[in-house]
Amino acid sequence: MNPKPLLVCVAFSLLCLGTQAQGLLGKIKQKAEQAAEKALDKKVDQKTGNTGNTGTDSGSGSSGSSSGSSSGSRPTNKGGGGLVTTPPDVKQNLTDAEAAFKTNGYGQARYALQQAMLGVEMEIGNKILKSLPETVAGLKKQDEADKVTSTGWGWVGLTIEREYLKDDKQLRTMIANNSAWMNAINLYLANGGGYAQQTNGEQNWKQTKVKGYRAVIEYDESTGYKLSVPIGQTSLIIWEGVNFASEQEMIAAASTFDLDGLKKTLGEK
Amino acid sequence: MKKIYIASLALALISSSLHAQDFSKNLASARTSYNSGDLENARFSIQQMMNDLDLLIGKEIMKLLPSKMDALAVNTKNDNVTINSGLAGVLLHRDYGTGDKAVNVEIMSNSPLVSSLNALLSLPFVANSGDGTQKVVKIDGYKSVLQKDVDPDTNKTGYTLQTPLNSSLVTIKIDNTTETDIVRMANTIPMSQIAKMVQ
Repeated sequence: MNPKPLLVCVAFSLLCLGTQAQGLLGKIKQKAEQAAEKALDKKVDQKTGNTGNTGTDSGSGSSGSSSGSSSGSRPTNKGGGGLVTTPPDVKQNLTDAEAAFKTNGYGQARYALQQAMLGVEMEIGNKILKSLPETVAGLKKQDEADKVTSTGWGWVGLTIEREYLKDDKQLRTMIANNSAWMNAINLYLANGGGYAQQTNGEQNWKQTKVKGYRAVIEYDESTGYKLSVPIGQTSLIIWEGVNFASEQEMIAAASTFDLDGLKKTLGEK
Repeated sequence: MKKIYIASLALALISSSLHAQDFSKNLASARTSYNSGDLENARFSIQQMMNDLDLLIGKEIMKLLPSKMDALAVNTKNDNVTINSGLAGVLLHRDYGTGDKAVNVEIMSNSPLVSSLNALLSLPFVANSGDGTQKVVKIDGYKSVLQKDVDPDTNKTGYTLQTPLNSSLVTIKIDNTTETDIVRMANTIPMSQIAKMVQ
């Protein structure tokens, strides 16, 4: 009999035993680590007087002991100054743009102009927010919801948001300037959306007027009323009323806004 | 021939100085309006200045493009810079040569295609198609997507090369060419300098 195959078999089984033994050793090591960690936790808990969560920790200990200890050492942020939300300085950015332009730094000049644009749009937004009524149909304005958004890009435009609230009745107002949505609503109004009006009592939207401005009013059982009024060439004001009793109440609420004043502030004709 | 060059150079200089004048005029108007509290007019003037700058940037980029691609001369009369304030930014067009081997170069700032191209470039196993119609190459150090198109009628091969530079996109399209040729020609375009201009 050739002894070579026999030797190979013996070597193979020894190798298998070796790997099994390694696996066994690894398991023993892991168990020992867990036991040591548990003992350490117990000691710490005794010192700190915290005994509440030892039971739950032991269950998850085997799978997440290493990650648990690393996340425990990572500090959590307890507060900071946040970001400064002051709008960019328009005058400074115009000066920067001029200086960059003179030295043919067109890319830099464009960046400075974009910042100046942001600054101007934020000022326009804040001016408009100041001109809006403090209360509408008995609902008070929610200061923390006042928002002006500008990208300085032009096509996304400027949006100004305000909310009025009392109990479960709410009126959300959004004014959009240079908005891409304008195309859609103007197309609807120009093509006589009214012709599509239904008479079967399931009419969810129709044309109407607010202070002489053509508008579209919509109603949805779950979201309430939505009234959209284009102002001038590139601006749009949208009101969303939750828990308003009727179409008339919604239009009356919208009529408390000075639409002519808004049109003037937005530079619309 | 020399006279034509001098005339077109003079024309370019005059037009760029006219845009410089527009920029200064709009800057003065923006300042006056802003100082007097007329924010809407200030905004309009700034928008105009951005348009002026876009046009100037476009013209400067045109100057960076080579006057020849291999033996193909530039068709100056087809040079075009279009500004589309905000949405698509500046669109530049230049072409070289005539007949069935023409080179088209287009540069679009704020291109909406850039994000999808960048996503493609970050996935090499997707960008390099198995059938050999699409692959990633480097032009002046910038990763670019090269696409092969075979005309079913003439059986001639054309290529389109797209190089995203920040938010801008440089597209080179050549009909009836080889991969080596389009890559060589594309490498004559100073991508790094263009990237700086459109930053």
